[in-house]
Amino acid sequence: MGSVLLTSLTSPLVIAKGFFQSGPDFIAEVFQQQPNAKVLWLTDDIRENAKVILGRPVKGLRVRYHQFDLTTAWILEEIGKEMPITIGVVVTDNEIARVKILAYRESRGGEVRYSAYTKQYLGAALTDNNRLDQSIDGITGATLSVWAVNKVAALALYYHAQVTQSRDST
Amino acid sequence: MNIKKSIILNLRWHRRIGLSLFFMVIFLALSGFALNHSVGLKLSNSKLSSDWLLSWYGLEPAANHGFELNAGNWLYQADDSKLFLGNQVIAQCKPPLLSVAEFEQQILALCDDALIMLTAQGQLIEKFTRLQGLPEDISSITVHNNTVYLHGISDVFAFDADRLTVTPTSIILPSSNTAPRPLPRALKEYLKVQGLSSSISMETLILDLHSGRFFGDAGVLFIDIVGLLLCILAITGLWAWVNHQRYRKDQG
Repeated sequence: MGSVLLTSLTSPLVIAKGFFQSGPDFIAEVFQQQPNAKVLWLTDDIRENAKVILGRPVKGLRVRYHQFDLTTAWILEEIGKEMPITIGVVVTDNEIARVKILAYRESRGGEVRYSAYTKQYLGAALTDNNRLDQSIDGITGATLSVWAVNKVAALALYYHAQVTQSRDST
Repeated sequence: MNIKKSIILNLRWHRRIGLSLFFMVIFLALSGFALNHSVGLKLSNSKLSSDWLLSWYGLEPAANHGFELNAGNWLYQADDSKLFLGNQVIAQCKPPLLSVAEFEQQILALCDDALIMLTAQGQLIEKFTRLQGLPEDISSITVHNNTVYLHGISDVFAFDADRLTVTPTSIILPSSNTAPRPLPRALKEYLKVQGLSSSISMETLILDLHSGRFFGDAGVLFIDIVGLLLCILAITGLWAWVNHQRYRKDQG
C-alpha cells in the first residue's frame, strides 16, 4: 500500500511553534502513581546503536526516564531542521503506547504535533535492525520533523528494551 | 540644429552621471555577484573579528567574560550558543551563560534555558531544561554545605542533581560573588583568531554595504539616489541613441 500524505494538515495558517506541555505534566498524565525518575547510563554499546538510530552521535552520558511495571516514559529531543523538537514517548511492553510533541521550536512543520499524525505510532515496535516495524505516513512540508519523530520513537523503543532487559536479567 | 544641441546637452549629462557613478556601479555589481553566490563562496560561514567593525554594529565581542574553574580552566560561551571549556566546545545552550558552580566532580553551568551538567573534564552528562522543571528566572547557582542552590528573583531552590528535582527552601545563604569575569588575554586572542568572538558574517556585511544600511539612513538614501541616477543614465543613453538616429536621418 502506498503511503498517504497527510496534506489536510498542511495549512499555512497553522502556528507551528509552541510549548505544549511540561515534562512533569506529561509524566503525571501518563502514570497514575508518579514514579521517581530513573537513569539509563549510556554505555559504549548503547551509544553505538543510538548513533545508528539517530544518524549522529548521541549527546550526554545518561538519559532520564520514568517506569512503572512494563511501561516506560521518555522525554527526548531531536532536531527537525534547525531547532530541537521535544517529544514524549511512552512504551509499554516493547510497543509504543503514546507519542506527544511537548515543544516545537521550528517555524514550519509543527503539524507533527496533531494526534492524527502521532496516533500512527501506536503499537509500533522495533525491528532487528532498530527501525520501526510500521510505516509512518509523512506530512507534506514537514519531512524533517517527521524524520525526527521517527528517530525519537525508535530510540525510545531501543532505550526501553535496554532498561527492561537489564531488569529481566537481574 | 535643435537636435544637435539636444544631443550635445544629453550626452554631456550622460557622461557626467556615468563618470560620477563609475565606482558605485562597479561596487554594486561585484557585491551583487558575491551575494548571488554567497553559498558557494561560504560568506555566511566567514565571521568578522575586527573590533572596530563590531563596535560599528554596536556589538561587543561575544566571548569577553567567563567563569574560572578551580582547576584553572575557563568555562565561557562563544560563537552564539556554544559552551567552551578552555579551547574545546563541550555543549550548546541558549545564551547568556549566567552562572557556573562545581559540585562533586561535576560542573554545573546555568544558561538562559537550561542547567547543563558536565563532568570535571567537560563531558556532557545531561541537561535540565525549563520543560523538565527548571524554575523560571533562575539567575545563579551556589554550592553550600554540599547542596546546590538555585537562586531566583525572590526564591531559592535546593537542587538534587541525581534526581533532577528542585525544592523551595527558606535558607539564608552567605553572599558569594558568582558574576562572570573578563577572559584572559590569551583566550580572547585565540577566539579572535578562530573567528569565534563575533556573530557578524561576511554575508551580512556585504549585504549591508550593498544596500547602504551599513551607513544607516544616509547610506540607504545614497543608494536610492545611485539607483535613481542609474535610471537616468539608462534614459539619457536611450535618448542619445534616438536623437542620433533622427539626426542622421535629417542629414540625409
